[in-house]
Amino acid sequence: MALPRPSAPALAVLPALALLPVLITVLAGIHAGGVEIWMAFLSAAVHPSLDPLLLKALLRALQVTLAMALAGWSLSLVLGVLLGCFASERLMQTWRWPTWPAWILRRSLALPRSVHELIWGLLLLQVLGLHPWVAVAAITIPYAALVARVWRDQLDALDPSRLQALLQGGAPPLAACCTALSPAMGTVLMSYGGYRLECALRSATLLGVFGLGGLGTDLQLSLQSLQFRELWSGLWLLGLLSVSLEILLTLWRRQSHKAQAGQRRLCLFLAGVIVAGITGSTWLHVLLPDSGSVVWQGLALPDWGRLMLAAAELPWLRLIYETLLLTVLAAGIAVGLPPLAMLLVPSRPWQVVLNAVWALMRLIPPPLTVLLLLLSNRPTLAIGALALGLHNGGVMGRLLREELEQQSADQQQAMGALGASARLSWLYGLFTPRSPGYLAYGAYRSDVILRETVVVGLIGGSGLGWQLLESLSSFHWDAVLVLIGAYALITLLGEWLNDQCRDRWLQS
Amino acid sequence: MSSLLQLEEVQLVGSQRDRLISLSLQVHRGERVALLGPSGAGKSSLMSVINGTLIPQQGTVLWRGRSLQQRNRRQRCEIGTLWQDLRLIEELSVGQNINAGVLGRRGLPWALANLLFTIGSEPCLQCLRQAGLEPQVLGSEGLDRPVKRLSGGQRQRVALARLFRQQPSLVLADEPLASLDPAIAAEVLDRLLERDADGSLAYGAEAVMVSLHRPDLIHRFDRVLALRDGRLLIDAPARAVTPGELQDLYAL
Repeated sequence: MALPRPSAPALAVLPALALLPVLITVLAGIHAGGVEIWMAFLSAAVHPSLDPLLLKALLRALQVTLAMALAGWSLSLVLGVLLGCFASERLMQTWRWPTWPAWILRRSLALPRSVHELIWGLLLLQVLGLHPWVAVAAITIPYAALVARVWRDQLDALDPSRLQALLQGGAPPLAACCTALSPAMGTVLMSYGGYRLECALRSATLLGVFGLGGLGTDLQLSLQSLQFRELWSGLWLLGLLSVSLEILLTLWRRQSHKAQAGQRRLCLFLAGVIVAGITGSTWLHVLLPDSGSVVWQGLALPDWGRLMLAAAELPWLRLIYETLLLTVLAAGIAVGLPPLAMLLVPSRPWQVVLNAVWALMRLIPPPLTVLLLLLSNRPTLAIGALALGLHNGGVMGRLLREELEQQSADQQQAMGALGASARLSWLYGLFTPRSPGYLAYGAYRSDVILRETVVVGLIGGSGLGWQLLESLSSFHWDAVLVLIGAYALITLLGEWLNDQCRDRWLQS
Repeated sequence: MSSLLQLEEVQLVGSQRDRLISLSLQVHRGERVALLGPSGAGKSSLMSVINGTLIPQQGTVLWRGRSLQQRNRRQRCEIGTLWQDLRLIEELSVGQNINAGVLGRRGLPWALANLLFTIGSEPCLQCLRQAGLEPQVLGSEGLDRPVKRLSGGQRQRVALARLFRQQPSLVLADEPLASLDPAIAAEVLDRLLERDADGSLAYGAEAVMVSLHRPDLIHRFDRVLALRDGRLLIDAPARAVTPGELQDLYAL
């Protein structure tokens, strides 16, 4: 028998094995009282609180979350596109500018990108105090760096011949760039930009869970006081908003994929981004009129000697091991579970059920899932991995559905004609052709999961995230800086590793 | 000769190309059938009805005397198709594609294992040789070579090898010569029609039906079926078909 050389579909399904140790640990840790609490939680889903006062408060909090998301999204897109242009060596060459500033900018953007928005939020909270713009800034900083990376990568990957032709014809560089690059880059901006809006809404909710205002704060308070009916009122509202947004974005994306979307559509999108930014900021000001202006609370510059001392005190091996283990387990669940669930029962009604489950998983921020699981369990790394894996599994589940929708039924029919069962026809005829693309998304999602370990680490008591919270709570700034540096380094290493895997899978 | 496949008054109403009108025919054990007709005549539709991919609105399709709809999974494996567009799985290796031929007889664990490594490389190599492709041509990667890195002719052989691995009783080949150069086309046809000394087909099938646009090749077959606009125009022994009939078939 030949040495195993797993193909893309096997690589996509096998990570689901991570569920085994996680489920064994979680199920073994369940205590009897917890089951009752869980039943109460589940039954509250169909009996959410309809108290008008509560609904009014929740609606207001939802508006705050949406306003934060819109403002952060708009700012990050505008900043990201500008930074991406200045980080593009191709554009610099076109404009006959030196390329070394682009190189430096590209490297410098790695740091804000690698630090999760939650850490930015908590840091800014310490130095600026509680203010709605803290959440907006926390979303904007890493998102702008992420958009800049994607924008720059796409710019540099474009075929330069059209641009060169225009420049040789005597067109001014800016006009030539707009004419030659905007059709392709417009599609990227509209597709990726729409996706970032969904992410911004999730991030704004998550930041709320950690006290930065909006619906997340209300959800967290309801859960901590075991007011499940109130919790579900908030979740249903958030679900309604998310589903509406998802439908709008899907419709927009379908229209944008029709090749002749044109420049008018791009202009419309850009105008929408700017209007969203202005609306978000004005809305925040109207909703929270007493928030005052942002005041710099001061932060002493770090001393090298104290940083070294703080670094020496930390149990690095354990922290890094726990963070990596959390990432591997959560990524395994997130990537492997959606195709495995479809493979076990590849029927239309089951797919509808799964879509609803993935939507719910995407909706609930991972820290809330951790808190929910902790109602019936003791804190372990497995709880964090399960929460993070299910949340990201929700995102991967939707991506899988979208991937499969683009696949023609020919291969599946061919497998059926061979006599293969519905399950095997789905595996070989439908999933296999889309699996390299799905894996590439999975590699990107693993980057996100590595960054997000901080979110569940803070609650689950494991890894660098937990240590970071400890250091933040005790104002041990030297340790905070060292830990953020370590997080950034691990994230960038993971990103590099995943980039290698992604290229290999897409080319294989 | 006993009847292997029987179509009675089959009616398929679809688009202009997916159309069969009151079609009745039989395929007997040991027969090599040429299916002729201009483009859009219904040849691919007929093959899709026989392999169960399309369900006719009226009429019956009997396989070994039993209704096609009543066939179980194992019986469905008895009809193998060589698709016009081959329908190989580009993301898998040569060996994994050939093994896909036996998916109808295997369960999920086997199917998953085949995605991890090529199972049963010896039967795969045998089928590949039978299809006319020597494994050395695949280089050091052998059966692990991705299908997407093969030439058109090599891909045709891999599709043929998958068909042989399936070991069907009836082979349906939908225009297998369409995009091949004359030398490879002749060899592929040889492989499909080759008989053993006892008269049975060399790869174990009981009958073969090949759709093609080459009336000059009908002498290689036992029987000719010819369709036009979804209707059966000719159903006769190959030697009995006259050039005039063939001219009428392709006449506008």
